[in-house]
Amino acid sequence: MTSTSRAPVELRGWSVSVGKDADEVEVRPGGTRAIASRSNVAAAGASDARKAIARAVPAVEAAALGAAFTTALRWAGVAASPDRAARLAEALQLVPPSGRAPLYWACRVVLVSSREQVPVFDAVFAAVFDGMLDPADSRGDTSAPPAVGSEERIRAAPPGRRPTGAAEEDSRVPVPIPAPGGDGGDEPGREREAVLAVASPDEHLHETSFAELDSDEIDQMRQLVRRIVLSTPERLSRRSRPSARSNSPLDLRRTARAAGRTGGDPLRLVYARRRLRARRLVLLCDVSGSMEPYTRVFLSLLQGAVTGARAEAFVFSTRLTRLTRQLALRDADRALARAAASTPDWAGGTRLAESIRRFVDDHGRRGLARGAVIVILSDGWAQDAPELVAAQMARLRRLAYRIIWVNPRKVARDYRPLVGGMAAALPYCDAFVSGHSYAALAEVAAAIRADRKRYSPL
Amino acid sequence: MRVGAEEDIRERVPDVDSLMAALNDGDYLTDVGLATALFLAVRLPQPILLEGEPGVGKTEAAKALARVLDTPLYRLQCYEGIDSGEALYEWNYPRQLLGIRLAEASHVELAETELFGSEYLLRRPLLRAIEHAGPRPAVLLLDEIDRADAEFEAFTFELLAEAAVTIPELGTVRATHPPIVILTSNRTRDLHDALTRRCLYHWIDYPGPQRIAEIVRRRVPASAGRLALEAASAVTKLRSLDLAKPPGIAEAIDWVSAMTVLGIESLDAPIVDQTWGSIVKNRDDLDLACARGAAWLVGERG
Repeated sequence: MTSTSRAPVELRGWSVSVGKDADEVEVRPGGTRAIASRSNVAAAGASDARKAIARAVPAVEAAALGAAFTTALRWAGVAASPDRAARLAEALQLVPPSGRAPLYWACRVVLVSSREQVPVFDAVFAAVFDGMLDPADSRGDTSAPPAVGSEERIRAAPPGRRPTGAAEEDSRVPVPIPAPGGDGGDEPGREREAVLAVASPDEHLHETSFAELDSDEIDQMRQLVRRIVLSTPERLSRRSRPSARSNSPLDLRRTARAAGRTGGDPLRLVYARRRLRARRLVLLCDVSGSMEPYTRVFLSLLQGAVTGARAEAFVFSTRLTRLTRQLALRDADRALARAAASTPDWAGGTRLAESIRRFVDDHGRRGLARGAVIVILSDGWAQDAPELVAAQMARLRRLAYRIIWVNPRKVARDYRPLVGGMAAALPYCDAFVSGHSYAALAEVAAAIRADRKRYSPL
Repeated sequence: MRVGAEEDIRERVPDVDSLMAALNDGDYLTDVGLATALFLAVRLPQPILLEGEPGVGKTEAAKALARVLDTPLYRLQCYEGIDSGEALYEWNYPRQLLGIRLAEASHVELAETELFGSEYLLRRPLLRAIEHAGPRPAVLLLDEIDRADAEFEAFTFELLAEAAVTIPELGTVRATHPPIVILTSNRTRDLHDALTRRCLYHWIDYPGPQRIAEIVRRRVPASAGRLALEAASAVTKLRSLDLAKPPGIAEAIDWVSAMTVLGIESLDAPIVDQTWGSIVKNRDDLDLACARGAAWLVGERG
């Protein structure tokens, strides 16, 4: 379905055409003509037609109405197959459309197949039917659509955005409709892109380096960054679970147990597959003076990772501090305050090698870094000798699955990784990305997601 | 091709309003949306997929519908790795073996057809719903279908579309009254297109404070008049925080029950401090809620 095909569709004397972006839906019964558009409902001539239809609607042939409305929905990007149109016709015979509410619910129950489609459905429904029917009928209807993208995760929206009764009926917000043929929100695996696309209307902030944002913008940016969903590659878990497929390995233990029930004859073979688990994510963030323009935003990234992806978070400048517990608070501002309070060496110098050594000795070797994806956010300006940095990076390398180095200074045009520490660390990194702006963090997320074999930007 | 619902059902559920009234009488409060959805599921008839946050009464809707239709409810709780043995039928192997041993011991000839007779068949919910003899169709609840594997989902749907089960040893069992199918999902994964295409769909919204209060009053008849509404408003307010486990209707009911047991008639800050445990079930959430304070929760309710 493309936005170029605008030809009206003829359906048993009804014709329906939807304008670009589904802003305009036109329904024509027989010779009468009505334009229901969110912007120009009051267009000249439309009101007469509207009255005509208002009289006609209760007697409208259900099949034609069903087909016409289904088509309008399809133009707006909600896939509704012809059998749904037929089903709607049946439904409308059972639920006579005597007012807005019964018509709305019958259409919605039949035509919508996931929650994400509801806002689009509401908009199309409003465009097609509102103004055609007596608005008095809509009172008490609790179906005002939630704002698109107001919930990027499956979680309750605050009730403020949710209709709680008739009182909010009139504050119905206009809902942006995705372009026809666009996704109806039902495409899996695009969650992250959706977050990036939906999160902010302030597109210009996306490309701006964090160092150039003013204080308000930083606050906005932290909101956005916290919502980035990070995920690591999967590994096979040690544990197995029964599998329905016989091409999985036989689970002898469970098979023998099942055989006990049948007198020792293994009548039922039990197969098992190993479960998949996400690899652990560890973030080490440099909070020394040279990183100061970036640390506030990076800390929000750490916080989002800790609460969202169960990551481990550490900060270092002259020494290493584990912040996982402090950042695990759901209240973001308090989490950051607690983190700052428990980091005594904020904005100090950088002991890169020493910090990595502490991490490997105290945490990494005990299992935290083993098979994990390690992200180091630092500009590599260190007081330690480059050989020491290299030695510690080599130790870390042997434990980790992948090491990703995020250096916001990388983006400068004349940047060369020549600073002692950085040059020494680079050979041990699997990915070297900038992450200096919101858009660049997408690259960081991609590097975290990547498997060892496939991704090698160096 | 489709004939619609049976006569008996049509009489019992003539229109949306009567179904809504019947559900209300059965102590299940609905809005017109859910009532329309259930009505269409019964009358078209068509499987219906109910989604909504935990605790909005998805499972309860199926139970209430079964009560209204005065028909048994067969519930299949789905889980990862569920297979047809647990959903449809299974031969009772231990009993068969025992039967063989007994026959051997008492020197009786045992024909194979006897061994695969219906007394050795363990009927699971799907088969029971299909076999249900009437007079009205049973309600079949496939709870949390998203937890089952995709293959199982497809298998179940083929079966329900046919409304018939073929058991190789016994022959085909055809439903005389195809069950009314209700599916629920918690959206832990996307459901298959084939499933969503065949289903009606309804998203159950979290109800407003008035309706929560009404539900609470019905469940906890002993509670003081004001308490239910106050608690409902407080729970609604609490849901505006970004909690990991936002309290649902069940929590509101528990909370009011707890306060009724304590002999409390009106909500105030010290009471809330005493009873956080009934509504907030997570340490982080508790921190967050306490930071806003009990006074905030009970103050300026609307």
